[in-house]
Amino acid sequence: MALPQDALWYKDAVIYQVHVRAFYDSSGDGRGDFRGLAQKLDYLQDLGINAIWLMPFFPSPLRDDGYDIADYQTVHPSYGTLEDFKSFLDAAHQRGIRVIIEMVLNHTSDQHPWFQESRSSGDNPKRNWYVWSDTDNKYRGTRIIFLDTELSNWAWDPVSKQYYWHRFFSHQPDLNYDNPAVREAMWNVMKFWLDMGIDGFRLDAVPYLVEREGTNCENLPETHVIIQDLRRRLDTEYPGRMLLAEANQWPADLGPYFGTGNEFHMAFNFPLMPRMFMGLKLEDRKPITEILQQTPAIPEICQWCLFLRNHDELTLEMVTDIERDYMYDEYAKDRSMRLNLGIRRRLAPLLDNDRRRIELMNGMLMSLPGTPIVYYGDEIGMGDNVNLGDRNGVRTPMQWDGGWNGGFSSADPESLYSPLMLNPVYGFQAVNVQSQKRFDHSLLSWMKRIIRVRKSLAVFGRGSIEFLYPANHRVLAYVRQYGKDAILVVNNLSSSAQAVELDLRRYKGNILIEMFGRNIFPRIGDLPYLLTMGPYQFYWFRLRKI
Amino acid sequence: MPEETILSDDFLRELMNVGEVDLLVGVPTYNDARTVGQVVQAIRTGLLKYFPRQRAAIINADGGSKDNTQELVRAASISDMQHADNMYALRTLHCISTRYAGIPSSGTALHTIMAASDLLRASACAVISPDSTSITPEWIQTLLQPVVRESNDWVTPVYRRQKFEGLLIRNVLYPMNRAVYSSRVREPYPSDFAFSGRFASHVAGLDSWSQEAARTGAEMYLTIAAITGKFRIVQTYLGPKSRTEGAPADLVAAMRRSVGTLFWSLDSTFAIWSNNSHSEPVTTIGPENEVDPEPLRFNRKRLHDMFSRGVGELEPVLKSILTPATLSQVQQIASSPEGELLYNDELWARTVYEFAAAYHKSVISRDHIVQALAPLYRGRTYTFLVENRDNAPEALESNIEDLCLAFERSKPYLLDMWNGRK
Repeated sequence: MALPQDALWYKDAVIYQVHVRAFYDSSGDGRGDFRGLAQKLDYLQDLGINAIWLMPFFPSPLRDDGYDIADYQTVHPSYGTLEDFKSFLDAAHQRGIRVIIEMVLNHTSDQHPWFQESRSSGDNPKRNWYVWSDTDNKYRGTRIIFLDTELSNWAWDPVSKQYYWHRFFSHQPDLNYDNPAVREAMWNVMKFWLDMGIDGFRLDAVPYLVEREGTNCENLPETHVIIQDLRRRLDTEYPGRMLLAEANQWPADLGPYFGTGNEFHMAFNFPLMPRMFMGLKLEDRKPITEILQQTPAIPEICQWCLFLRNHDELTLEMVTDIERDYMYDEYAKDRSMRLNLGIRRRLAPLLDNDRRRIELMNGMLMSLPGTPIVYYGDEIGMGDNVNLGDRNGVRTPMQWDGGWNGGFSSADPESLYSPLMLNPVYGFQAVNVQSQKRFDHSLLSWMKRIIRVRKSLAVFGRGSIEFLYPANHRVLAYVRQYGKDAILVVNNLSSSAQAVELDLRRYKGNILIEMFGRNIFPRIGDLPYLLTMGPYQFYWFRLRKI
Repeated sequence: MPEETILSDDFLRELMNVGEVDLLVGVPTYNDARTVGQVVQAIRTGLLKYFPRQRAAIINADGGSKDNTQELVRAASISDMQHADNMYALRTLHCISTRYAGIPSSGTALHTIMAASDLLRASACAVISPDSTSITPEWIQTLLQPVVRESNDWVTPVYRRQKFEGLLIRNVLYPMNRAVYSSRVREPYPSDFAFSGRFASHVAGLDSWSQEAARTGAEMYLTIAAITGKFRIVQTYLGPKSRTEGAPADLVAAMRRSVGTLFWSLDSTFAIWSNNSHSEPVTTIGPENEVDPEPLRFNRKRLHDMFSRGVGELEPVLKSILTPATLSQVQQIASSPEGELLYNDELWARTVYEFAAAYHKSVISRDHIVQALAPLYRGRTYTFLVENRDNAPEALESNIEDLCLAFERSKPYLLDMWNGRK
């Protein structure tokens, strides 16, 4: 299958986020690999996703799950070879699935040869590739991100006897983007993968590229200049490829990352995600509508990326203190579930394994403006293991069946990169792909259906949104419109049945067609349109003037 | 079901949108645009500050205001488009207003609020008077917390009163209610109070709402319902209570609403109060009474004149209400010169009880009985003011306690009168 030649393909995408290590082990060494991932592409094609976002797969000491890269231009030996990657990429493309890879621009591992050279002496040519200082007093207005492990953004290097700057772990020194050689080197890294055929990059930790005294060293204008330069080169040399920003920022700070359409194609909507969980728990749409009102308009060719869960903790950086306390109390009563400023749990356990809530949240994920990302395993309702430390509890092996190692690997269980989920609720014998494939009403089957319906109309990925604000605050309702297509989405955030009256007068004369069952609902007239909804129920209606 | 008739379809639709709540604050109004905005803002701040996570609503039951009272209440809503200044709201806060049918009446308003509270399954509900301009956001915490945290059912206020404020409460309602119902509720006729969902369900379903006395003196009726229903009662200190400026108090109307309702309640609760003996203290959060030593100014001569003239003019009526002995004593003090008028505690307690018994027996129109008490009350008020003119707050409180004890001692006399033994 040839990939559709649409430059805006990312707007219609349904992205599946996966770590090679966690998906399928073809070699029997206890770690997933590219050959394994390639073998499971049929599964992903059947699920309906049309893009894969791969977490870092580069050589790395793996002290931050691969985000500490020691070599940007090859594959970690545990995951296979560059040839394996190329084979996987081709196989994905043949199935109409695009591949987005991770690019950690901000920092390297302290094991990267660049850093080893840089720290070797003060006059090494690569000394200026990182941010060095005689004092740890510079940039004092900068927050510490990993509060649970780091006391400072500076770390002392006993070799070269200076401090080096790091926004994340101390073993991840920040690259110095004031140095043109660094910028050129990173572009060359990107070219390496673009030449191989990848479809886009998810650029990690974008806001932190540049440091300036007297600022908080985030979202600086100089950072945007660097992004604009990368984008210009990308559009010129590799049209149709995509840049996705990881910028965990407030809405007002997120907008500039799209520029005038000359920076990122897409950016994660970090502020929205926790408020979806908050709205659900509060049974009140206000947190969701409020944050979307604050979300800046973006250029026509740009797109938000929406997600419910990912490989990190459910970040609560972009919420108020009141909201954070509420989220902790409601979603992480057990303190071991909390990490940094977030909650390290998967979707199903966060929602008490309540199928209705899982469906509702996925319904919103798929119908709010943006491109949805499904985190591997959430399509079958996998659980988490908070006892594994850091964020490893949400990175356990994919559960394929109820057999040996959950079908993930033929290795001895002791040699797996991570223990499998074993408990009676979320263990691989209870939750796995094989068992869910057998039933039409399983979560996996339901996910396939909703992805299929989502992909049936471009309005989900490209349409405008108009909120309806019914007087019943437990109901979140909006109309998405794209060209002649219009859909009405109505979500009941409440645990109880609700009646809601919608003002649909401007769509008078349309009939409503429920998009899953294709049943016809009464024609819209002058009166408020009355709907009754079961607990956590949602409707997607297509508006048709027939 | 009473709520089927008291709640309009439009209001029901609004309640449907509010949905189940944890907390509800009711505001009964009638042409209160001058003060209600300030009061509702304080309520909203109190809810956001002290109960940020709870589902809450503010409900206004309006008697048909011609000013923009209802709009001022609705404007306090917090929704997708409306925000609170300087306060972060986690949730939507519905501020809804309904115009109830019929003439303006606190009873209908409170019945509406209680029915709404019952329907919305509020676990705690407060009612705030629209003229309580001295309200602070802390009032909301102070009133609701005893219900939310300690499972109390009826929370009455204790205010910091000016020395000669609340005379009707101090001279009639508190002493008599305490003696009859054996519960030392300081403000049995509260304008700001709170109650539990359990109590709202109980009261919303009572048939008595259809009766005039329950409607006009609903606050009094609710206190009595809480006491006689053996609900958990607590008093809580709110601080100073603002007084309505300007409008002269209509004593007779006030007595109809309070004393009339108290008298009326005695019929249906006889089996309960006739068996009570000693009064029991009520748990009080904060000071039990606080008095501002600065006295309000009263025209004592006018009080004296109205008392003397009233006793004279109403002699035929009083004859049908009071025993000859009591009437004779009342007439005697009514004829005494201004400086010597002394309506003592024992005589006053006996007077009030004789009125209550007459009300029970309906010797004349019940409304006329309540009206006839007004001039006598003025005589008693005169004595109270003179006695306490120079008293410190402690001495004032001691005198009130003496009066209460006089009412308690005389309770057998009420029973005798009631049963026709005298």
